[in-house]
Amino acid sequence: MSTADSRSAAGVRVEIDDVQSGALRPRPVPYEGKFIFLRVDDRHAGRALLRRLLPVTSGGLPSADRSQDAWVAVAFTYQGLRALGVPQESLDSFPRAFREGMAARAELIGDVGESAPDRWEAPFGTGDVHIALSALASDAAQLGKELERARVAFEDTPGVQVIWQQEVRQLPTGRTTFGFRDGISHPNIEGVGLPGSNPQETPIKAGEFILGYPDETGSLPPMPTPDVLGRNGTYAAVRKVHTNVAAWRRYLRANSSGAEQEALLAAKMVGRWPSGAPLTLAPEHDDPELAADPHRVNNFLYRENDDRGYRCPAGAHIRRTNPRDSTIIGDARMHRLIRRGTTYGPPLPEGVLEDDGADRGLVGVFLGAHLERQFEFIKAEWINDGNFIGYPGEKDAVAGHHGGTGTVTIPEKPVRRRLQNLPSFVVTRGGEYCFVPGLRALRWLAELED
Amino acid sequence: MTATTGAPQTAHPERPGKSDGVCSEFTVFTKIKPGHADALREDLATLADAADDERVHAAVRQIGTLHDARHVIFDNDTRFMFASVFDGSWDAYIDDFAQTVVGERFDRVFSHSEGFPGVKDPGVKDWFIAHQEPAGVFVSAYPDLTVQQIYKDHRVEEAFEEVLDTPEFRAALENPANAELVATPSFQKLLEEASA
Repeated sequence: MSTADSRSAAGVRVEIDDVQSGALRPRPVPYEGKFIFLRVDDRHAGRALLRRLLPVTSGGLPSADRSQDAWVAVAFTYQGLRALGVPQESLDSFPRAFREGMAARAELIGDVGESAPDRWEAPFGTGDVHIALSALASDAAQLGKELERARVAFEDTPGVQVIWQQEVRQLPTGRTTFGFRDGISHPNIEGVGLPGSNPQETPIKAGEFILGYPDETGSLPPMPTPDVLGRNGTYAAVRKVHTNVAAWRRYLRANSSGAEQEALLAAKMVGRWPSGAPLTLAPEHDDPELAADPHRVNNFLYRENDDRGYRCPAGAHIRRTNPRDSTIIGDARMHRLIRRGTTYGPPLPEGVLEDDGADRGLVGVFLGAHLERQFEFIKAEWINDGNFIGYPGEKDAVAGHHGGTGTVTIPEKPVRRRLQNLPSFVVTRGGEYCFVPGLRALRWLAELED
Repeated sequence: MTATTGAPQTAHPERPGKSDGVCSEFTVFTKIKPGHADALREDLATLADAADDERVHAAVRQIGTLHDARHVIFDNDTRFMFASVFDGSWDAYIDDFAQTVVGERFDRVFSHSEGFPGVKDPGVKDWFIAHQEPAGVFVSAYPDLTVQQIYKDHRVEEAFEEVLDTPEFRAALENPANAELVATPSFQKLLEEASA
């Protein structure tokens, strides 16, 4: 392994080449990908699999040649680490949220009702998911090559079973099933050498995203032992979320007086127009030209021009989940995430208002060094409550579980508009908390003995 | 005015402490390090100082979930109590508090307690919880109101009072052009509240 360490102004050396590529770098656009879950029935077989996966697992920064951009990432649930025979003392050193798993934390993060774990798609939440593989590439041919290399590693290994697979790909529109471009925001991480998407964001300490480095509090994030296992690792909350696109379209239609109004209402709930142009910079109409400019599409803050949310409502999805410099309760820098959203299923054809029964939505991966302070906090405080922006009890318009009784407040003059009786537009189909080890840690896991 | 929606309550089921509606109580008891009582008393006096008052109230406003808080030295200068009432769960925002002036206060005040790891220590929540004593009874006079809602209600009420006192408002009420609006049950409710 080469040691192309980068060095920040503060002198933090991040061992980029030891960090899995899947953890830090933004996904390609467009993309093709696959998630594969494995169950380890025999720890020796599991370790043998890891030894074969090692050369397939990529570390470091993106390839300069985008046409070669493809990578495989490997992550483990708590049950998976146990199945591989990681010593109990080491297992006990992982943070509580990870040890418990996402299903046990469902109430806390708002996976209730039709999103509750007892209704999740198998094998989510059963304890059978041990290893999560993901492969992403910029086209199908590249993905095929990567998958073939990975498949050789886990095929014909009695004692390790493929128990779930999900293909994801960008829709031809380049947008999510709801019709909005995504994958725009990426944090500016100190000492990593990847550009953040918002030039106005002060770099965030590497320890918010990678274990082994100081975080925003000035402390090292709690790290599992031994050191070789924790260092350069991170955590991933992986979720499959079904989107009810027909309900979304019907709600917009029922609460608007025409196509233009409908587009504006949708943008107010998302915070961006379909092209990706943010309301903060394009408050009246979509602006595809602005959206296509990587230097402008995410170059904004909220406080100076839009503190009260007349352009982008405080309750809009992108403003809630990344409030930047908004006036909120708390400190937004303590709750940054790397988000990796990928789309699955067929699009609902343009204009269709009735559900066609197809399963569609997104497989989201939310990465950071602190599951509780980052993913769980954002779900509990910012998506499922509105107190932090002064709307107690009001949930994220798009991502909240409303059950037909939700409200969303849209600041307007002379008086604000408050929409009522919001249905849920998303349903959680399942999720897992995973540990994404560094490459040396992966080798350590592969070489466990007994 | 009251909260427009139900009680928001973040579920942190593993946390001790009683809740009433949207708010929760949080009380910790610690042992004062031998010989530290006077230094602690001095720190509290400084924090209670009028010069610090504006800064502290600004910080409390920034926190935005704290209803009230108190520090008490008791048991012959050997023990210390911190008690507060928060919106939602206590630990949701504790990492954030550590970054504010309130974090500095916590650091200073609790530095006189035995075993305090420092407010930015990753183990600080566990330390607080280990020293927490849940209330037997906790009751709020306004269980539906968060701090944010109270601020908002206060702002709207002040603005409304200002309108009420203008002759133009009285004239607008009597203007037949506004009769339809004035007759609606929601406007009548507003007038009922404003009539005394």
